[in-house]
Amino acid sequence: MLVEKKRNSFIKCALLFLSFSGSLFLLSGCWDRVEINDLAIITAAAIDKKDVNQVELSLQIFIPKAMGGGQGGEGGSGGENVTFVISQAGVNIADALSKLQADFPRKIFWGQCKVFLFGEELAREGVYESLDFLLRHPEPRERGYVFVSKGKAKNILAMKTNLEPYSGEAVREIATLGSGLAVTLQDFDELLTGASQGAALPYMKVASKKGDKESSYDYTSFIGAAVFKKDRMVGDLSRKETRGLLWLKNEVKEYTVTVRPPGEKGELSFTLGTVQVKVDPQIKNKEWKMKLDVKVTGMVIQNGTNLDVNDPNSLKIVQQAFQKSVKQRIEGVIGTAQHKLKADIADFAEEFHRKYPKQWKRVEKRWEEVFPNVKVQVQVNAEVRRQGYINQPEKAREGVDNE
Amino acid sequence: MIRNVSKLLRRKKEKKRLDQREAKPQEKLHANFDQNVETFRSIYTNCSDVLFRSFLLFGKTRAMIIHIEGLSDVKGLEDYVLSPLMKETADTPQSFNEFLENKLSVSKVEKVHLLADCIESISSGNPILLCEGEETALSLGLAKWEKRSIEEPQAESSIRGPREGFIESLGVNTSLLRRIIKSPALKIQPMKIGEYTKTNVAVAYIEGLADPTLIKEVNNRLQRIEIDAVLESDYIEELVEDNPYSPFPQILSTERPDVACANLLEGRVVILVEGTPFVLIAPISFFSLMQVQEDYYQRFVISTFVRWLRYLFLGVALLLPSVYVAVATFHQEMVPTTLLLSIAAARETVPFPALVEVLIMEVAFEALREAGVRLPRQIGSAISIVGALVIGQAAVQAGLVSAPMVIVVAITGIASFMLPRYITGMSIRILRFPLIFLGGTLGLLGVVMGVIAIVIHLCTLRSLGEPYLAPLAPLKKKELKDMLWRAPWWMMNTRPHFTGESNAYRQSPHQVPNPEGDKGKRQGRR
Repeated sequence: MLVEKKRNSFIKCALLFLSFSGSLFLLSGCWDRVEINDLAIITAAAIDKKDVNQVELSLQIFIPKAMGGGQGGEGGSGGENVTFVISQAGVNIADALSKLQADFPRKIFWGQCKVFLFGEELAREGVYESLDFLLRHPEPRERGYVFVSKGKAKNILAMKTNLEPYSGEAVREIATLGSGLAVTLQDFDELLTGASQGAALPYMKVASKKGDKESSYDYTSFIGAAVFKKDRMVGDLSRKETRGLLWLKNEVKEYTVTVRPPGEKGELSFTLGTVQVKVDPQIKNKEWKMKLDVKVTGMVIQNGTNLDVNDPNSLKIVQQAFQKSVKQRIEGVIGTAQHKLKADIADFAEEFHRKYPKQWKRVEKRWEEVFPNVKVQVQVNAEVRRQGYINQPEKAREGVDNE
Repeated sequence: MIRNVSKLLRRKKEKKRLDQREAKPQEKLHANFDQNVETFRSIYTNCSDVLFRSFLLFGKTRAMIIHIEGLSDVKGLEDYVLSPLMKETADTPQSFNEFLENKLSVSKVEKVHLLADCIESISSGNPILLCEGEETALSLGLAKWEKRSIEEPQAESSIRGPREGFIESLGVNTSLLRRIIKSPALKIQPMKIGEYTKTNVAVAYIEGLADPTLIKEVNNRLQRIEIDAVLESDYIEELVEDNPYSPFPQILSTERPDVACANLLEGRVVILVEGTPFVLIAPISFFSLMQVQEDYYQRFVISTFVRWLRYLFLGVALLLPSVYVAVATFHQEMVPTTLLLSIAAARETVPFPALVEVLIMEVAFEALREAGVRLPRQIGSAISIVGALVIGQAAVQAGLVSAPMVIVVAITGIASFMLPRYITGMSIRILRFPLIFLGGTLGLLGVVMGVIAIVIHLCTLRSLGEPYLAPLAPLKKKELKDMLWRAPWWMMNTRPHFTGESNAYRQSPHQVPNPEGDKGKRQGRR
């Protein structure tokens, strides 16, 4: 009896399950189900200003056929492009996108787009409207990187690359390498809407090496940083200043410092070991002050001077030179930001906000005026920890051999 | 209404059938020799393999030996029974008992009164000796038939560990157990199941380790069985399981005596069945399916690593194809860009949706596997060639399936063979298909729903009353030592909980090898 009941309930369950799972197939389209074959995968996107009140959206789209997967070695990206660029103008991005989609056989898919480029012209006019789309639309990644291009951003998309399969990937790889700035969409948004309302984005252009037909090629050159105040680009930093900015943001990774110690003929180069940047905002007697404490260790990788780093006296000279060089870099970028651009790109505002919330409230509205007057004190403690595989400078060693 | 009537009818029919079954002949043997012989001859009409040998006992009394050709030791019968009994001796034994003790040089002799018992004895190979003027017959323990020699188990091979496997003979199998566990606490209860086969079944357990209620439960469930035949231990497995509809095995089967003994020593019960090398072990938990004898025969670090590898591949075997389908059709943004690009490139020429593609490949793989099992060994290589070429390469080159899909199916196939027992792999393999459907229709949401359903099902399962997910749910911290990792032997101090609290320790604690400490002690003693 009991067994029978159990069996009946089992059959009931099984029937329910079968009808339930059977009806899954009748659901037309299965919601957002889409095969990879029907996707146009965006690898990079560029947004430029077109005419008055018009933006031009350019998308770098991946061509699966060009990779020639599955068919064995015949494919490869020898000279063939694996991407192509489509572009369309519209009153805003959404408009341009819908126009693009209307003429395109596959569904345009933002999910893998990790590179967003703003043309300089658009950047100078304001990016809030474009940012709104990129942040609001569910598909674009917030962790994609944002760049500003000198000239039209579309040109970067169309550029041919040598090592990476397409230019979007090349740009992204450079950003993740850590030698320059790397700002994601989310960072950018947080900086612009945060306390400081200033941000710096990597700034680049298409450069070309001229040569004969075979050896000339194009490449993306990072020429510094584009500085934003609110949503507008107000100026740019040079390469050296951008590096200084990296110190301020504590994002220094791949970095080589080359210095010439006083009284020497050659140069010494260091790579960095550990880098510690401590930011300490202080308000004393209504005077706003920022104390920066930088601790850095370096390794000698090239020594063109006659100084033997083994010798404590020479080491002192070298370290002082190292220290001075780092300090100069940092102070340089602070000077530009405070006095020339008046944009708080190092996010000092947030530091003050955190430590002195009451005082911050009072200046919040007029931070723009306060920021240039913040006194910045940079203290660098540089140490040379390693000297490489050889002790004496090569110059000195040769001298010994000759004796 | 109609349903009630039909139910009533069915019940009546069942009752009738039961009555038929219970009619067991209680007829006794007659004092009349001729009548007895006649009865046996009528029972064994048209049984050419039953031999009747009549002779004169000590030259005087008429007697007859009945046995089945090939089941008894003919030489023993001749040497120890027929030749001494046929000698005409002066001193005829006075009583039957005396005769039994003095004249028969056979070690195992039993007196039988019932006709039914005689028949049972004959069919199990023990010849029956009938004498004139006696109401009892003698069952002579001379059963001997051809059997396979003990070989290395085919389905459960191991690199380190004993190479003996069970065989089809119950007597040999119990002897294999006894050879490992010499203590008389190892109990083996005999039982006969099967109306026609009268299959010998033995329940083995260790007194003092196995819970008495558990043994009672096993016996109850076995005695409930009424079936024509038991040809393999799976018959019994299916008839005593707690949840007969589950895809998961709730009783473990093994053909290794060492595995059976290890489980006996943990307080489990082993059911041996005549005619199959596979013995049953119960109660088990899900994690028993993940354990292999070799885990305990090699260094614990290695065993732990291998065990975790198994857990990992359990997940792979269950989830990889469904997750692949879900990600490829719903969540393209989840794949790393370069990987997605190569998948996209590979899929470009494929005419099917990913769901259909994976189903084709999985079904083809299952077919290949099944064909490989059934095929004669000589043709086996043909299958692997066809499988590798057609499914692997040709299908990809023809653009019917994508190369990533072949890789996914291949990895899944290997993963399901990683699971120690073939049967476990099978249940995982079956569950893969509903998950693929869910993944292809609802995406990762569907896969997660499926996994939740499976986990809920596992939680409800019991093996002879023991929770299936023990020691994880309910959590038994002490027993995690044999689940999360394989603790070294000097830490395996306590037995699993179902052996009861009375006999909790299997060894003395503090047995960590400590040569330095020992040296100190020795010196101190000096």
